[in-house]
Amino acid sequence: MKEQNLLELTGDLVKYGLKNGASQVEVSVSQGTTFKVDILQGEIEKLSEAVSKSLGLRIFVEGKVARASSSDFSEETLHKLVKNAIDRAKLSSTDPFAGLPEKEPLEVDIAALKIYDPAILDMAPEKKITAAKETEAICLADKRIKKTFGSSFSTYVGERYLSNSNGFSGTFKRTNCSCGVYLQAGDGTNLFDEGWYDSSVNLENLESAETIARKAVHRVTRLIGGRKVETQNVPVVFEPPMTAELLNFFSNCVDGSSIYLKQSFLAGKIGEKIGNEAVTIIDDGLRAGGPGTEPFDGEGVPLRKTVVMEKGILKNYLLDTYSARKLGMKSTGNSSGPNNLYLSAGSSAPEQIIKSVDKGLYLTGTIGFGLVPTTGDISRGAFGIWIEKGELTYPVSEITISGNLARLLNNIEMIGNDLQLKDSISGPTIKVAEMTVGGK
Amino acid sequence: MVDRARREFLRKSGIGLAATMTSGFWFDMLAKGIISPPSPALFEDRFGVTREDMKKILEIALSKGGEFSELFFEYRVLNSVSMEEDIIKDSSENISLGVGIRVLKGAQTGYGYTDDLSFEKMKQTALTAAAIASGNSKLSVANLENKSSGLKVYDLDLPMSGVKLDAKVELVKRAYNAALTYDKRIVKVQSALVDELQYITIANSEGLIIADARPQTRIVVFATAEENGISNTGYKSAGGRVGLNFFSNVEKPEETGKKAAEEAVLLLSAVDPVAGEQPVVLGSRQSGVMIHEAVGHPLEADGNRKKTSIMWDKLGTQVANPIVTIYDDPTIPYYRGSYNVDDEGTIPGKKILIEKGKLVGYLQDRLSAKLMNMDTDGHGRRQTYRHNPIPRMANTVLAPGDASVEDIIKSVEKGFYAETYQGGQVSDSGKFTFSVNMGYLIEDGKITRPVKNATLIGTNVDILNEVEMIANDTAFFLGTCGKDGQSAAVTAGTPTLKLRKMTVGGRK
Repeated sequence: MKEQNLLELTGDLVKYGLKNGASQVEVSVSQGTTFKVDILQGEIEKLSEAVSKSLGLRIFVEGKVARASSSDFSEETLHKLVKNAIDRAKLSSTDPFAGLPEKEPLEVDIAALKIYDPAILDMAPEKKITAAKETEAICLADKRIKKTFGSSFSTYVGERYLSNSNGFSGTFKRTNCSCGVYLQAGDGTNLFDEGWYDSSVNLENLESAETIARKAVHRVTRLIGGRKVETQNVPVVFEPPMTAELLNFFSNCVDGSSIYLKQSFLAGKIGEKIGNEAVTIIDDGLRAGGPGTEPFDGEGVPLRKTVVMEKGILKNYLLDTYSARKLGMKSTGNSSGPNNLYLSAGSSAPEQIIKSVDKGLYLTGTIGFGLVPTTGDISRGAFGIWIEKGELTYPVSEITISGNLARLLNNIEMIGNDLQLKDSISGPTIKVAEMTVGGK
Repeated sequence: MVDRARREFLRKSGIGLAATMTSGFWFDMLAKGIISPPSPALFEDRFGVTREDMKKILEIALSKGGEFSELFFEYRVLNSVSMEEDIIKDSSENISLGVGIRVLKGAQTGYGYTDDLSFEKMKQTALTAAAIASGNSKLSVANLENKSSGLKVYDLDLPMSGVKLDAKVELVKRAYNAALTYDKRIVKVQSALVDELQYITIANSEGLIIADARPQTRIVVFATAEENGISNTGYKSAGGRVGLNFFSNVEKPEETGKKAAEEAVLLLSAVDPVAGEQPVVLGSRQSGVMIHEAVGHPLEADGNRKKTSIMWDKLGTQVANPIVTIYDDPTIPYYRGSYNVDDEGTIPGKKILIEKGKLVGYLQDRLSAKLMNMDTDGHGRRQTYRHNPIPRMANTVLAPGDASVEDIIKSVEKGFYAETYQGGQVSDSGKFTFSVNMGYLIEDGKITRPVKNATLIGTNVDILNEVEMIANDTAFFLGTCGKDGQSAAVTAGTPTLKLRKMTVGGRK
């Protein structure tokens, strides 16, 4: 069977839509090969591999929109989907803000973004299996590890194609690899599950089996014997992955649709001082080798660097074309959410931050939901290490933390110099002046 | 972060999905009466995959020495229509077509999938899955014999897949308007209707071939209330394995809209919860999430087979107060978590997990049942053809007790009453939380002020022994459960119950 030229296919469907009565059409395709091996107690538990593709389309008929998607690429199905969408769009309401983005030149040098690593494509399955086995084996050599949920290694090699009736046509390739392990430690019924996982666009920057295993073992064993503390208000130090989790909540609160729907406490707050001077938050969609880096977003809008908060002042939201028009602003290339979001590093060493706390919580893990963008309220189950007189002492678990993001951004007292720009959301160690820890 | 040991129960999924209206194909098929009773003929008639092809692919999958091979064909159409800011904003139609091929050898799984049903692509995929084993074929594939479930747990009277878009738009508008006009303080509303029809055919090397056609419908409403610069969002959903009749006979869209708005308005006057250990009353409306997290997940067979679940060595022992009986039943007619056949061809039945406080069973899929030398019970489920089946819940229920709701409230001097949830999460260690969107303070045996955003945290082995009183006003919570990166439609039901004490996260 002849392989289809997928960029041509998207262009052809755009034309088909226009011919059948659409005023604007956008068609995207993603295709990729995924490989994943799961190891459990030294044996392969599951091996899976597949090539898959999916097509998405958006049709506008005079300001009325309809969408469709399919993994069935037969011409009959795709044509029917286009026609159905045109019929459906007519039943929607006219929305003056709906429509494709204005054509913008795509000036980025795709190769310079470094989001495709041929080494991942060439990596033999045996090597992936070996890496996963090694990761788990190193962990299991530690006697404190009681159980393993297993380790895994996975890779993705894929392409994206996008065409629209405003003349946009673009394609790029991307890769990803990841390795992780998840463990259980503890005694009796006081057990703890933790692990570590690393993911990278290129093979070279993926942490070694040894590093991943060492981090996973550290993360779970430091919780052994965790107990509740009394309910109290104390300073909380966020370990970098916890800062990232907080930023993820922040990104929901600056997402364009939460803003125009007034489902965020940051609606209407552009230009206002929300955080303290030390807080600068940036989304950089063009960082070379970033997991969220791409030449253009899901609508064909070029990715860029957006300063969301500068020295505590809210400067911008994360917007797609529609929410930008609703708010009288400009798309920031965030139709797929935050690209590479981070909190800028400060000057304190993490040890110095811990040392500054007389009594408080070093937060290493959370569980549950309890993040409400409308109010900024935070309430989650928590795990960590108790700080006494500037020292990490005993582990704590089955406690809760609660606070409010608006107050929290104002109460970030110290920011670490340990920012590592690797994940799509990243932050350094931070110290928050006060949160309520719920326990006994 | 790695999430493989974490299981979540989300209530807010669904609205972001763009989707609507029937594809012509489905409409044609309904007209021909093919979906009821479901028949494996669909993949032969429409996609040209003959029974001989299926048998050949199953043989190829076993060619390297696998012990069992299986094909999971899926054709799914998911539609949605959504309304925001007084206009019908979006609609969509999403088609998912493909086959997942699984090969088992001992405790090992080989898995591959393709969205291309040509013989050549299916053969390649079968060889990929076959590679889990290395050797020569020892087993042959039995002749494929049609099997039928005998269960009829879907309301296929007026399936949504056959309903015209304008009628769906009307339902969405009714829900929207009811929310918006509920109170002057309601400032924004979103409502959406999502419906799907999933057609599956499962064939395996033991000679089974079985088909199912599963409808799933849900209406969701978010309402935001604002007063004096303070905003809060309320939420409600309704639906199940139902069709159009649901919206006139079971829950009218107005009711769904009103409930969402009511929650948003009540939250305006809500106070922060009081932090610390205290007696907790779980209201019946949505507290099934507690049973789902604290009992359901830890009793799924895979975690017990691998001995990572805190329950792995507790079968036959007393794990809860004797007033506690818990079961999972995929056969409750029309419920969101119900099905006629599970995703590996097993016909399900009600499964008792805890009987009078004693642990009596785990939720099984084929692989765990075999390795644990136990019976399958129809709880092997998968999200799509791209996923391998794993043990999952369907409709998990805490059996009613003999206390009255009044007596339960009256028995608490100072405590917390939980009413609606954002969701819950549990890890294999048994540590779990549920996030309460709205609850109430209990003061001197009476429900008083509304409380917002509280987190309840505990360890299941402790909490099961803290269940002190159970009423008989059972209600069900509609949810979407996440496990190992796969989502599944579920419900969980419970009467109002009292926990002697639990840690409540809040302010001090």
